[in-house]
Amino acid sequence: MATLQLNNIVKNFGSTQVIKGVDLEVKDREFVVFVGPSGCGKSTLMRMIAGLESTTSGDIFIDGERINDVGPADRRLAMVFQSYALYPHMTVEDNMGFNLRLAKVPKAERREKVLAAARILQLEELLDRKPRALSGGQRQRVAIGRAIVRNPSIFLFDEPLSNLDAALRVQMRIELARLHEELDATMIYVTHDQIEAMTMADKIVVLQGGVVEQIGSPMALYHHPANRFVAGFIGSPKMNFLDVEIRGADAEGVDVVLPGGDCRVPVKGDGVSTGDKLTLGVRPEHLKIDDQGPLTGKILVIERLGGTTSLYLENGDSQWILVADGDVTSRVHDQIRFSFDPACAHLFKRNGEALLHRHCHPLVASESK
Amino acid sequence: MNTSKRWLPRTFKVALLTLLLLWTLIPICWMVLSSFKANDIITASTPRVLFSPTLEHYASLFSSGNSLWPYLLNSLFIAGTSTLIAVVLGCMAGFGLSRIRIKGKQHLAFWIISTRMAPIAAVIVPLYLLFRYLYLLDTHAGLIVAYLSFNLPFAIWLMTAFFDDLPPDLEEAAMIDGATKLQAFRYVVLPLMTPGLVTTTILCFIFAWNDYAFAQTFSGPNTQTIPIAAAQLLTQTGIDWGKLLAIGTIVVCPMAIAGLLVKRWLVQGLTLGAVK
Repeated sequence: MATLQLNNIVKNFGSTQVIKGVDLEVKDREFVVFVGPSGCGKSTLMRMIAGLESTTSGDIFIDGERINDVGPADRRLAMVFQSYALYPHMTVEDNMGFNLRLAKVPKAERREKVLAAARILQLEELLDRKPRALSGGQRQRVAIGRAIVRNPSIFLFDEPLSNLDAALRVQMRIELARLHEELDATMIYVTHDQIEAMTMADKIVVLQGGVVEQIGSPMALYHHPANRFVAGFIGSPKMNFLDVEIRGADAEGVDVVLPGGDCRVPVKGDGVSTGDKLTLGVRPEHLKIDDQGPLTGKILVIERLGGTTSLYLENGDSQWILVADGDVTSRVHDQIRFSFDPACAHLFKRNGEALLHRHCHPLVASESK
Repeated sequence: MNTSKRWLPRTFKVALLTLLLLWTLIPICWMVLSSFKANDIITASTPRVLFSPTLEHYASLFSSGNSLWPYLLNSLFIAGTSTLIAVVLGCMAGFGLSRIRIKGKQHLAFWIISTRMAPIAAVIVPLYLLFRYLYLLDTHAGLIVAYLSFNLPFAIWLMTAFFDDLPPDLEEAAMIDGATKLQAFRYVVLPLMTPGLVTTTILCFIFAWNDYAFAQTFSGPNTQTIPIAAAQLLTQTGIDWGKLLAIGTIVVCPMAIAGLLVKRWLVQGLTLGAVK
């Protein structure tokens, strides 16, 4: 159980800067997810926390103690690798008890602790097997078990589910969330999958190109993305974007010109003036089919998922995704009109920065209390 | 349709392999067989496959005035020591070379193996001069160094390839588990390196064990190895075929048996990186 603090962390590989000054505070028992496209530096950041990679500059604190010069063995962390990194020549029991063996813990006590962890993960039957005799999901469990036995101050997970099939991934996701609840531990989790991030995190750190784009709760990122990148990255299907012109703006809202009529988006319009070009962002689930709507499009593809239906629309250069009810009757090639609730829309400046919403989403507001 | 199509090339493959096998095995089998023949049968103009075997050549090798024992011990000691040093240093250097992140690593690795590419004949004279200045002629150490000059780069290169194949995640996991770098190497890396160590050991030992050129040049009365003993049987007055074949058998058989015993690892080692 521990806190973690990163102060202006920078990492260079040769002349390439891969982490460009990251600040982060992780509270005790928090589940923090680093998410971003591949190459964004999230794994490197985790490896620096683990001590497997040195920092070029900046400080790392665990429980207030600076650990830059402490080796990985002495940071009291446990890490679950993407490849699981189970020792192939050792049985499951030896794999899980290896850290105790290194710490010269007596055999009986070692077995007891391994059994306790095995019970949590339902691994008791497999203790005598070698890793190659295990399925992917079982290996994953052993890797987590090994981390639990270590009784670390912080758990690190480096894309632990990416080698599992879709069904198993969902199951392990739930299991990890349960484990976090049960162990009451601080956990840091790296993934490129925004669904894993949304479902498990207390706090998400969105990274791109070695820079933190936004830190916040899943709902804060969803409802109040700080910029266009976060808006596009979080949420599935992706947010729709449309370049728009501004009719007028004040502190109460911004008037946007749309093909079928203007619309007032309730964001703070400071620094925006008439004639400016902004980007409008609306999530597919916030678009609705509406015969009076200000937007039109031709249906290119319909994906019926049962509960919902995704409509892929095209209008000139602009492409839209609209998530409608499962029983929507539209057909491919239909021309439809659609609209959205301006309160759910976002506006982004040319540099990608979002205009602040006038009202905080109730879910997000309740989190900060 | 399909099976008949594959059937033809298969026969061809088998035939080719059989031919290759006969080409390789017949001389060796003939050598082993003949080492148990009496002298007059060996040199008989009609080759004989059926004969009453005799151990006289082996007996005379180890009993006569010029016993084979010192040669055998020299060979074992020199080949063994140089192999041990090459494998231990090669293992450590290979690990370092595989894991270190430096510019021009590929060039460094190539430079190391390139020292193995020179023909033996090219280094004999320079080494001879060096050894003379260093008083290493006719010493065990001299031959050990000579074999190392070829075996060490080879061992480093081969072990580097083996370590490259071992994901660094495993050592990193061990280090996060509380192991020092050395403990991670000892408990996690080394046990997984058995195929690499066995392959490197066998190949290094074969080179040192079989060498004639270095031994001929650098050894003296105290340090002659088995291949020299064999050569000494080729005299101006005649060739003692019986003893020669017996020595040949003594040289070849241990290597062949060792090779068979570790075949599983050796194949894995020789096809390293071939199939992912």
